[in-house]
Amino acid sequence: MRVEKTSQLAKLQKTFLEKMNKHDRTVLICCGPGCLANGAQKISDEFHKVLKKKKIKGFSIEALKETGCHGFCEQGPLVIIEPDGIFYTRVKVKDVEEIIDTSIKKKEVVERLLYTDQATDKTYETYSEIPFYKLQHRVALRNIGKIRQCDIEEYIAVGGYQGMAKALTKMKPMEVIDEVTTSGLRGRGGGGFPAGRKWATCAKIDDEPRYVICNGDEGDPGAFMDRAIMEGDPHSVLEGMIIAAYAVGAQDGYIYVREEYPLAVVNIQKAIEQATELGLLGENILGTGFNLNLHVSRGGGAFVCGESSALMRSVAGEVGEPRAKYIRSVQKGVFDKPTVLNNVESYANVPVIIEKGGKWFATLGTPKSTGTKAFSLVGKVRNTGLIEVPMGTTLRQIIYDIGGGVIDNKPLKAVQTGGPSGGCLPEDKLDLSVDFDTLTKAGSMMGSGGMIVMDERTCVVDVAKYFLKFLNDESCGKCVPCREGLYQLHALAVAISEGRATEEDLDKMEKLSDNIVIGSLCGLGKSGPNPFLSTIQYFRDEYLAHIKDKKCPAGVCRELITYKVDAEKCDGCMACIAACAQKCITGKKGEPHVINQERCDKCGACYAVCNKRDAIEVA
Amino acid sequence: MVTLTVNGRVVQAQEGEMLLEVIRREGIDIPALCHHEAVEPFGACRLCMVEITKEAWDGWTNHVTSCLYPVEQDLIVSTHTPKVNELRKSVLDLQLARCPNSPEIRKLAAEYGVNETSFESKPDADNCILCGLCTRICDKMGFNAISTVGRGHGKEIAPPMHEAPPDCVGCLSCALNCPTNVIEYSDVNGKRTIWGKQFELIKCSECGKTTITREFAQALSDRKGIPIEYFEKCDHCHRKELSLTMGQVAGWSKEVQS
Amino acid sequence: MKSRLVVTPIQCTGCRTCELACAFAHSVDGKPGKSRIYPLPGGMKDLYTPVVCLQCDDPACMKSCLVDALSLNEETGAIDLNEEKCVQCQACVAACPFGCSLHDQKNANVVKCDLCGGDPVCAFFCPTKALEFKPVTPTKRKRAV
Repeated sequence: MRVEKTSQLAKLQKTFLEKMNKHDRTVLICCGPGCLANGAQKISDEFHKVLKKKKIKGFSIEALKETGCHGFCEQGPLVIIEPDGIFYTRVKVKDVEEIIDTSIKKKEVVERLLYTDQATDKTYETYSEIPFYKLQHRVALRNIGKIRQCDIEEYIAVGGYQGMAKALTKMKPMEVIDEVTTSGLRGRGGGGFPAGRKWATCAKIDDEPRYVICNGDEGDPGAFMDRAIMEGDPHSVLEGMIIAAYAVGAQDGYIYVREEYPLAVVNIQKAIEQATELGLLGENILGTGFNLNLHVSRGGGAFVCGESSALMRSVAGEVGEPRAKYIRSVQKGVFDKPTVLNNVESYANVPVIIEKGGKWFATLGTPKSTGTKAFSLVGKVRNTGLIEVPMGTTLRQIIYDIGGGVIDNKPLKAVQTGGPSGGCLPEDKLDLSVDFDTLTKAGSMMGSGGMIVMDERTCVVDVAKYFLKFLNDESCGKCVPCREGLYQLHALAVAISEGRATEEDLDKMEKLSDNIVIGSLCGLGKSGPNPFLSTIQYFRDEYLAHIKDKKCPAGVCRELITYKVDAEKCDGCMACIAACAQKCITGKKGEPHVINQERCDKCGACYAVCNKRDAIEVA
Repeated sequence: MVTLTVNGRVVQAQEGEMLLEVIRREGIDIPALCHHEAVEPFGACRLCMVEITKEAWDGWTNHVTSCLYPVEQDLIVSTHTPKVNELRKSVLDLQLARCPNSPEIRKLAAEYGVNETSFESKPDADNCILCGLCTRICDKMGFNAISTVGRGHGKEIAPPMHEAPPDCVGCLSCALNCPTNVIEYSDVNGKRTIWGKQFELIKCSECGKTTITREFAQALSDRKGIPIEYFEKCDHCHRKELSLTMGQVAGWSKEVQS
Repeated sequence: MKSRLVVTPIQCTGCRTCELACAFAHSVDGKPGKSRIYPLPGGMKDLYTPVVCLQCDDPACMKSCLVDALSLNEETGAIDLNEEKCVQCQACVAACPFGCSLHDQKNANVVKCDLCGGDPVCAFFCPTKALEFKPVTPTKRKRAV
């Protein structure tokens, strides 16, 4: 059945909404990346199994839904009972039957599965009261966790494809571009380029055919915002791309998904089929005569292919090497034709902008960074997960109010934002607002939304070393400053972490970084030295401790630390002896143990096991 | 026609020309190791970088690779500012760290004040600077026999699977255009060896001198319709043959026009 | 009417002035380069003929060049070799049936006659007018391929 008129779409929306709401109770099982990794599929299967056996009056198996990422990954696997919003955390397969008996058969609550805030000791029955959720404003993530994953009926039921219908039937392409320009939407992949301006420039180029591309490469370690959107609400991306294609006059588009996201590939492909079947994608969309064909293009496992010109080469089947962008890709992009490339989250925002208006979008966030942004909050923070807040929210609000503060109430040492190309900011910068420009001025960047919280047991030299190695490994290798420069920068960072460096080496690294930034061909190289530059700016003392004192204050760099048993605290439990792979700890039961320093390889297993009694020190 | 300034001189250029062409036309010498007129500019070596600005930019400057930057009206180009020289020096320092045994790199680095590299280098490193000229030229010739393999610091030039490349015809274009003469080949006893593959060299049917490989001749004949017989003699013997022909013709008429 | 290099073999004495002039006209770093013209014995007693590029209508050299380094110069009528584009593969040297694309071993270069940009020195210096650069209507044409 093809939808050929907007009135038909409106009717369908009513039908699907009734279908969605006809259930007395619905059970939402979060199948986002975090919960899936934690066994959510088994929980969903168990629900199906038990409910098939026990037929419950008034409850149909259709009311059981697998959804995308609900957001509170720390507490997963999550099960939510709507319409009350009862929020069950850390659910196990053996809890399923109890949940069914208690909350589906009866309308009661399983107390022990509810969420308790570690910081305040308060227990919450529903998720909307929890500070983690209350302080968020979900726009790009609006449907994820609420509707059945990759289901076009539920997507339409909650208003999906209305934005597209409005654009295609009531607006001219230039008006669509104006609306997006008014909204102030800036590229959510981290570049922050105004989307409206990009589309306008492309629309003016006198060349055919044109293309729209969605950058779903998301290579930053620790980032999974785009993954959640592609897996949990792929239709929002498709709708955004259709609107963009209409605005610039493209008839073909590619969704580039990184190799490491097979579920995203499956779900996007499914969504394309679902939309095509309903006539909302492909030939003669919504009976308007506008055609758009979308294809999924898979990456090959290269971080550099997240760079737009490398991505376009990869789509064309060539080696993913970036090119100098003196001639912009809106003019000569994929296949050397005008191309609009935007990030997954950018496209996910577009339908809402068209539906509610660019002016509405611009009321959120700050004047220069309008709207909201999704973040993956991870690291030594209590509430790790996927969040979305208005631009302009401060780091402190995100980490403490939403994130619940640092684990064990330890002092915060630094927060790393923007992925490998971003930087570390110290505690006294927490009141900076998170947007495209403020963090950059301070020496970091917002990037695509990764946020890693660090406490005093994180060594910034180690962090810099890790990210430099990552960037050098992922460098395409074409230009000298990035390929050779980052290699040498990493080698010097290793030397620092092993206590072999001098202060002159720091000067050398700063000078080399400056040249890499100016000399590199693409963004990967140009921002490559950032892990070093941002940490040396705020944590120079820590670098000097490694160089002058040959000490690692955080107790991380193996060459510079020793693990010692405090004989007074040790109660001789022999746990560390069992844990030691080098078999270098000796001692009888009940007597203080001793670590043989010559054979110890500083792996830290003993420290981890003993932490409860605190008898092993690292210095 | 576009007017721009290069090192203080006002010059003219065609639309679509790259800065490097204009700079070279003005007789200014800047290094450009990965550049060759036969193939598209690549922007890999970064040595041709120059500083650009415009009056309208209010003092803001940019550094771009001149091989890839198209000329613009009223552009002001400087090829040897202190910052540009420092950039070249840094790049050459890094290249010297990669290829400490290359006389060509050593010479070029010395011109910019780098006599020893200030970075870590491996003593037995080969001299490949990854300019990509060999693969780009091979692709342009239509053989696609070798390519860049891998990425990051481990990137290298190699035939597929590091085995004898099936598509190579032994034309030597890669080896002869390598800025650091890294690609080895040998012509011995009528046989050519390169990239681990052996080729037969055509011997002139008159004098026995070797010319090009049979595989290359066959490819040219197949692709371009040149009769394979043309390749059986060397150029010397072809000239002799022409002179004999012309001699015969001269016996009958007074002149032969070319 | 276009000028062409006209060779009258019967006038050639084999004095090799053309060869010398060509070499000096195409000097490299101040030293004489490789000549593109060679007077060779014509097969009959005392008969020499200058062998030089025929600037063919359908040149084998241009056909054989895979990087488009050879092209027709509309002004001079010569097939010019762009030495910066040339990759030294020797395809043209092997393909020309008249042997007029030459490998300059000393300078590791491929060279060919470019009619000196429109005023060939060989014709200028030839004492017997065996070589002349003059406007002519094409009569007999030597074809390459």
